[in-house]
Amino acid sequence: MSNDGEPTGVGPDQPFWTHAQQLEKTPPCQAQCPNSGDIRGWLGIIAQREKTGLSLEQAYDQAWEKLVNLNPFPATLGRICPHPCESRCSREAKDGAVSINAMERFLGDWGISRELSLPGLGDPTRVESVGVIGSGPASLSFAYQMARRGYPVTVYERRDLPGGMLRHAIPDYRLPRDVLDAEISRVFDMNVALVTGVEIGRDMSLEELRERHTLLFLGLGAQVGRRLGVEGEKGPGVVLGIDYLTQRKQGVRRNLGARVVVVGGGNTAMDAARSARRDGAEVIVLYRRGREEMPASEPEVTDAEAEGIRFEFLSAPLRILRNGTTLAGLEVQRMRLGLRDADGRQRPEPVRGDTCILEADTVLVAVSQEPGWHGVDGDGPGGKWLHTTSDGKLAEDLWAGGDDRGPGIASRAIAQGRLAAEAAHAQLRGEPMPEPWTSRPAVDSAAVKPDYYRDLCRSPAVRRPRDEWLTNPESEIDQTLTSEQACGEATRCMSCGLCFDCRQCFMYCNAAGFTRIQQAGPGRYYALALEACEGCGKCIELCPCGYMESREGSGW
Amino acid sequence: MITRTTDGFGQLGERSQALRSKSSMPLRDGSRIAVIGAGPAGSMFSYFLLNMAESVALDLQVDLYEPRHFCHRGPAGCNHCGGVVSESLVQRLATEGIALPDDVVQRGLESYTLHMDVGDVEIATPLHESRIAAIYRGNGPRNSEPMDTHSFDGYLQQLASEKGARIVRQLVSDVRKHDDAMQVECADGSVDDYDLVVLASGVNSRLAKSLEDLAEEHVSPALTKTFICEFRLGKEVIRETLGPSMHVFLLDIPRLEFAALIPKGDYATLCLLGDDIDEELMDRFFGSPEVARCFPGGVIPRHICHCYPRINIRTARPPFGDRLVMVGDSGTTRLFKDGIGAAYRTAKAAARTVAFHGVSADDFREHYWPLCKKIDADNRVGKFVFWVGSLVQRARFARRGVLSMVAREQQQSAAPRRMSGVLWDLFSGSAPYTDVFLRTLHPAYVGSLVRNLVAANLPDKNRDLPRDPGEERA
Repeated sequence: MSNDGEPTGVGPDQPFWTHAQQLEKTPPCQAQCPNSGDIRGWLGIIAQREKTGLSLEQAYDQAWEKLVNLNPFPATLGRICPHPCESRCSREAKDGAVSINAMERFLGDWGISRELSLPGLGDPTRVESVGVIGSGPASLSFAYQMARRGYPVTVYERRDLPGGMLRHAIPDYRLPRDVLDAEISRVFDMNVALVTGVEIGRDMSLEELRERHTLLFLGLGAQVGRRLGVEGEKGPGVVLGIDYLTQRKQGVRRNLGARVVVVGGGNTAMDAARSARRDGAEVIVLYRRGREEMPASEPEVTDAEAEGIRFEFLSAPLRILRNGTTLAGLEVQRMRLGLRDADGRQRPEPVRGDTCILEADTVLVAVSQEPGWHGVDGDGPGGKWLHTTSDGKLAEDLWAGGDDRGPGIASRAIAQGRLAAEAAHAQLRGEPMPEPWTSRPAVDSAAVKPDYYRDLCRSPAVRRPRDEWLTNPESEIDQTLTSEQACGEATRCMSCGLCFDCRQCFMYCNAAGFTRIQQAGPGRYYALALEACEGCGKCIELCPCGYMESREGSGW
Repeated sequence: MITRTTDGFGQLGERSQALRSKSSMPLRDGSRIAVIGAGPAGSMFSYFLLNMAESVALDLQVDLYEPRHFCHRGPAGCNHCGGVVSESLVQRLATEGIALPDDVVQRGLESYTLHMDVGDVEIATPLHESRIAAIYRGNGPRNSEPMDTHSFDGYLQQLASEKGARIVRQLVSDVRKHDDAMQVECADGSVDDYDLVVLASGVNSRLAKSLEDLAEEHVSPALTKTFICEFRLGKEVIRETLGPSMHVFLLDIPRLEFAALIPKGDYATLCLLGDDIDEELMDRFFGSPEVARCFPGGVIPRHICHCYPRINIRTARPPFGDRLVMVGDSGTTRLFKDGIGAAYRTAKAAARTVAFHGVSADDFREHYWPLCKKIDADNRVGKFVFWVGSLVQRARFARRGVLSMVAREQQQSAAPRRMSGVLWDLFSGSAPYTDVFLRTLHPAYVGSLVRNLVAANLPDKNRDLPRDPGEERA
């Protein structure tokens, strides 16, 4: 027989039917988001507003509220996040991923312009006091999540203004100060106090703060730039990229000279290079691997190139050349990609005898950052990385998140602050840990059928004309979508893994097994009468978003 | 070409220029028509209408709504039916300019094999009609490998599109009257106005049901549940066990009117028609030795795809209103058989009414309703014919008589094959039920049947007849 291996026989002993069921799943955008953002959820509120009887304003308000449930800084992250969420969007192959990042920015700006307040959770005021050291994204995320659960929070910041790297390192042309100020001040509008000018290990000991608060969160960051460790590095003209950026944000203008070489391939290197370009220098970026391997986000690299920045890939500094004490340039070792290391990345190796000289007035070093705090124990390559449990616990009363646990993007820091708050709250209240947002099964990419969706092109990015970028150097390049564009983008979301009322199951079920739910909303449009199911599987095949699936043991 | 058509509606078209002015709702240049559903009825309607409009220099915009993709495998891309078309229908479509390519129509079914408990008999193709053909409405069963065949419905849709119909890949969720126009709303909330809505969404979509209040005193078609499934057997096995023959079962199972197994390449389609096919009925069917005999080793393999499509057993009344007409199953169809043929006839009649007369309820009552009533009347005869058939199924002596008569006819090539012809037309749906019924009243038919009933039920006369497995068992 040709169908060898196929089960044979028909009858009650054999599974004869393919019963269907409705099951919400984790969409790829949420799975990719370090903070498990409920992107489908907030886009769905806008896209399906007419089905749920919301005005456009109500929909934007509600979408913003859903968004800030996990991320209190949507206008900020909508500008600086490298948005891994868009990388696996099911729409990508059809007509481009949904502009999730631009939508987050749109809603963030909407929330600021409407002066919306961060939502509490209706919890009573609690007695346990919470201290937070540092005021970067991880710390403020933790502070927000604890404050909305009723805890009084005090944030200790060694500088004069809160915000951490968001405030002190990211250039204005990427993140305007008023946007950051508006979003940060909302956190302090809650029951969160700010104490500035206090550095842990200098002005106050960790033990003192542990005495003062029931619970302490460490969001210390990793603000010390790592040096190159090559000959001639010590002396004038070699500057750490992060220090240059921080001073620049504080209004200190450093004379870089006409020729600047930036060493490094991450986002700090891009920020340093583009800032130096704005300060009037000719800039060359030196990176030891190829363009494909650059950790900086692709649009940042493209924009840097558009601004006239030159890239020397597969190039590493061998030594710094000096004329007396004055910097003259650097000798560059050409590299090639060799064997893969444990991370699967190809390790760069020097090409013997292939070196060259680059002349420079300043070298900006942006290769990586390390912890630089005092008074807290830790370990790691820089000596002091914090090693916590996965939800950020160091001790019963001590939690941590952000770059002090290892370098990462802001979204990850916000996630760590939030997860630590959720865990700490559960511990304080003796409650079970909340289910992770991504605990549902992932959407099977084959179950999502892009050809059932109307063709809708991705909204083009709104940007200032290129010739203005350098002439008006601190003005933001990217602009916010119009409301019309935002509605269009929300409509493009295919709602992977959650019913959005395409009606196909309802319309085509031979057994009329689906009934419309009166109080409809995203994910709640039809009820399936399981006993009516005839097991043909048509609804599963027709469901464009992968919400319908076969029930376990039903034989498909 | 329009002038080639059998009823010459090209001429009618010229006459209709005068007739059209009589209608209270004629279509004009730029009139917009929404056809909902791109099954055979919807696609053929669009094709015919655009053809006819061209012949009278009328410029229409036809939007053909179909969210599903017939290139998808499995039930999602399928319009579920047994997938048998008579060669006469294939030929008639060819005269309309619809030449079905070989990768859409799988010719090669050369006979029917009739299975009864009293024996099996093969009925060869009658001389006046060459063969029957099999098609897939979608693109094959679920989980099937890509085949060298293409969807029948997909082909017709493409034809309509080439004729100028705009395919709209949206699910229509509502149709309503709005002033002088019809409004079509899609599931994504978009709304469009039309001068005419043609409902061709069949009876397996909820749409028709939700539009019941649209036409005055409208009664939806009455439905019954059928069962269709697919077996993956492989070409070799099919050649050995089923051969180039469609297998029909006349079994004594209550409520089962018709059962057939149709070979299609690597697959065989099983089709059960009757009065609400349910699990109990199916258990009895699959438990019958006559069925098991058709499968290799007498074991019925697990099917790979199944569904329970509903079929129309009573015409919608009336299947039209002002600016609204229902074609195909949404309106009326032939009982149990030849649904595609009925889709063709209703689509063409409706298109002719729209192109040459108008879109008011009166226009449809005068020019479309007569055809529906004719089909309806024939179905009433058909009901009686199937009732007689069920009597035969229930009586063993009658089954023997039929078997005997067919077997004798098939052995004698020269003599008229009265029983074979009746069964052929009944199984293939290639003749109206009234014709079939009238032929059974022919004295020669009655005489032959009586002789065979007697002969087949006399114990010593069975020698030259097909083996009766029941006797061996007894």
